[in-house]
Amino acid sequence: MTTPLKKLSPLCQLAAGATGRVCELRGDEDFCQRLREMGFGEAALVTKVSGSTTSLCQINGTRIALSHAAAMNIMIELLPIGPAHDRSRAPFPAPASPKLNATDRTR
Amino acid sequence: MSQLPSHITGSGKKRPAHADRTPVYALVGNPNCGKSTLFNALTGLKQKVGNYPGVTVEKKIGETYSQHGKPIKIIDLPGAYSLAARSPDEAVTRDVLLGRRSDTPQPDRILCIVDATNLERNLYLVHQILDLGRPVILVVNMMDLAESSGLQLRVDRLEQALGIPVIACEAVNGKGLVELKLAMSRSDLPLARHSWDIPVAVAPAVAELQASLTDNDGRSPLVARAEALLLLTDFDTVRVAGSTPLSARTTDILATWQKHWEGEGTDWAGTLVGSRYAAITKLCVDIVQQTGATGPTTSDKIDAIVVHPLWGWVVFGGVMTLFFLSIFTFAQGPMEWIGDQTASLANWLKATMPEGDLRSLLTDGIIGGVGTIITFLPQILILYFFIGLLENTGYMARAAFIMDRLMSRVGLNGKSFIPLLSSYACAIPGIMATRTIEDPKDRLVTILVAPLMSCSARLPVYLLMIAALLPGTTMPVLTKVGIMLLMYALGTAGAFGFAWLFKRTLLKGRPPMMIMELPPYRLPGIKDVALHMFERAGLFLRKAGTVILGISIVLWFLTTYPKHPDATAAATEQIAYSFAGRAGHAIEPVIKPLGFDWRIGIGLITSFAAREVFVSSMGVIFGAESANDDTTTLRVALQKATWPGGAPVFTTLVCFTLMVYYVFAMQCMSTVAVVKRETNGWKWPLFQIGYMTGTAWLVCFVIYQTGRALGY
Repeated sequence: MTTPLKKLSPLCQLAAGATGRVCELRGDEDFCQRLREMGFGEAALVTKVSGSTTSLCQINGTRIALSHAAAMNIMIELLPIGPAHDRSRAPFPAPASPKLNATDRTR
Repeated sequence: MSQLPSHITGSGKKRPAHADRTPVYALVGNPNCGKSTLFNALTGLKQKVGNYPGVTVEKKIGETYSQHGKPIKIIDLPGAYSLAARSPDEAVTRDVLLGRRSDTPQPDRILCIVDATNLERNLYLVHQILDLGRPVILVVNMMDLAESSGLQLRVDRLEQALGIPVIACEAVNGKGLVELKLAMSRSDLPLARHSWDIPVAVAPAVAELQASLTDNDGRSPLVARAEALLLLTDFDTVRVAGSTPLSARTTDILATWQKHWEGEGTDWAGTLVGSRYAAITKLCVDIVQQTGATGPTTSDKIDAIVVHPLWGWVVFGGVMTLFFLSIFTFAQGPMEWIGDQTASLANWLKATMPEGDLRSLLTDGIIGGVGTIITFLPQILILYFFIGLLENTGYMARAAFIMDRLMSRVGLNGKSFIPLLSSYACAIPGIMATRTIEDPKDRLVTILVAPLMSCSARLPVYLLMIAALLPGTTMPVLTKVGIMLLMYALGTAGAFGFAWLFKRTLLKGRPPMMIMELPPYRLPGIKDVALHMFERAGLFLRKAGTVILGISIVLWFLTTYPKHPDATAAATEQIAYSFAGRAGHAIEPVIKPLGFDWRIGIGLITSFAAREVFVSSMGVIFGAESANDDTTTLRVALQKATWPGGAPVFTTLVCFTLMVYYVFAMQCMSTVAVVKRETNGWKWPLFQIGYMTGTAWLVCFVIYQTGRALGY
């Protein structure tokens, strides 16, 4: 559930070039599961490359296209930092976020 | 029953001692990690492509030799992100690895290939596979790409941590293949030092499912554990034909646990994925290091143009123009050559063999039927070369991305684009390409509408009708091209229209949830593209040699028998007297409102084998003595054809109506056969015939009757 401090918006509304943190996955279980399996789980850093209907994102160094309906179900917290590919492979991982059940794999 | 416990004897089918038989390796990996390139590099031309019975998922088996010259079999499994399958493709990978398929033996060893540039995500699948407790060799591919993007990978440390052979590799340049072969030649492969803590919340469920899988489904304990873990995250398990279903007991246990968790509100699936990733992250700490600074890669720079909202469409338009130009222009010469060769073969047979039924069967039936299909081989080769090139360079995923917006208007997603594009050449490869679409409803809709895209078999019909409609000399070329394009546009609009309709009525589903990876751009590997092209061509020829041969023989029989009582009767009379002729007469009342007579009716019936057969049928019926594909002679013969009252049959209106009929009608036996196999039953192919031919009739009825009313 969202906390009052965070302002969440769906991934499709993220501006091109902006980076956000995945906070919540909505929609069917199997869809959420696949997103998590592809590294798109909670706490992942994602940079929007382009697109408003179909979104193109950069996550962990890979480019992933998501249809509008899919991007609507990914709730993002906007981060005031640069593109994810600069940060996603920092040499050593940051400590895992305690509030998430060990799904922090963005380091 | 064996007296020994099952963890000693192993499970499943007993197989002869290792030394006596060829070891079987399964090649597994994420999509776009260079799996096919590695497979091609290992096996070269020693590949066999087939299908898993019951599903249109390709089964690729190749052979290579160990360092000691012993043969090794490799099964190239479809690319998968996870063993929790979401598409039929992934389901096959899962089922082969778990030993659920009776048609494929459970592989002895597993060759996992991962993309070095995205190690963590790729290791997710490896992590699931290590659970299986089989000997695994890990191939870290694309080391060159990783290096150029400033990543340093300590492969030796990964080997130490996992306890299995890990080989750094650049499959494209052949680097690391020797080391890989050496590892594959080892008679003893260590099992992975693979341990991770199953989350407490799911542990009792895993134990119970594991016990049931061992007792009731005959799995070995390790496979049972891996499968138990998988079942917890494999929701509405994608089931494919040919796989053994789970026992009722296991299904019950699973349902009970799921209900229990739902009541508690535990997100067991998320927990499992999370703990796997936690283990992977821990593993990767010492292994992956970012050394150089990263900025946008070359791929990113290309993407800035190729997926740009405006330039992207310009590039897409250019690529598509090139695609159609090459299919329709470069293929022209070879197609004519093949046509000439089959014609001269038929003529030679006619000259050397005595006249009779056997000669007629060989020349008119077999060479006439199979020959016309083989004529399309050059187009098919070019199509596959092009598709292979687009896939190999990474552009295909971008094209799907660009088209997604358009496709989403009718309820489909970008992944349906590739099947529809292929269908412009032939619906069969198009339908086979739908296997990567995850949502079964989206997949079915794509299969249903794919044959509406004007395939190359319709071309001869269009060409003949345009020739008959507009005598070559008097009409500007542009008008002809315009009519041709109109037919293509009509088919495409029909496909999109029906997709829209089906997604709103019959196959109502959620909006498409497409997740598609865009691989980095690469220079195409000509060897891979060529292999892909010849493989496809081989499949096509095999089809021509079996299904189409059979249909050709049946059709020949129907047009030849019963024999006209007067042996000297002209070919036209003979056809009228035959079963096909009678059928033509029988359907005349149905097609008369469209302006078609019984002779066109015969063409409609015979061209059910393949649309272009219409042209040769017309040749036989209207110009028996000059029965060839030369449209000029045939055109004159068609223009002379009249109704009993003396009115011409092939008026401008009828020619146009006939073209429209071929745009919509399901006139292709091979497509029906493929759809039947694809959808596992007769329901959908019959529906497809019904809706397509029904639409064709209705549209033609409206066109013809309106045209008549307007005085054409």
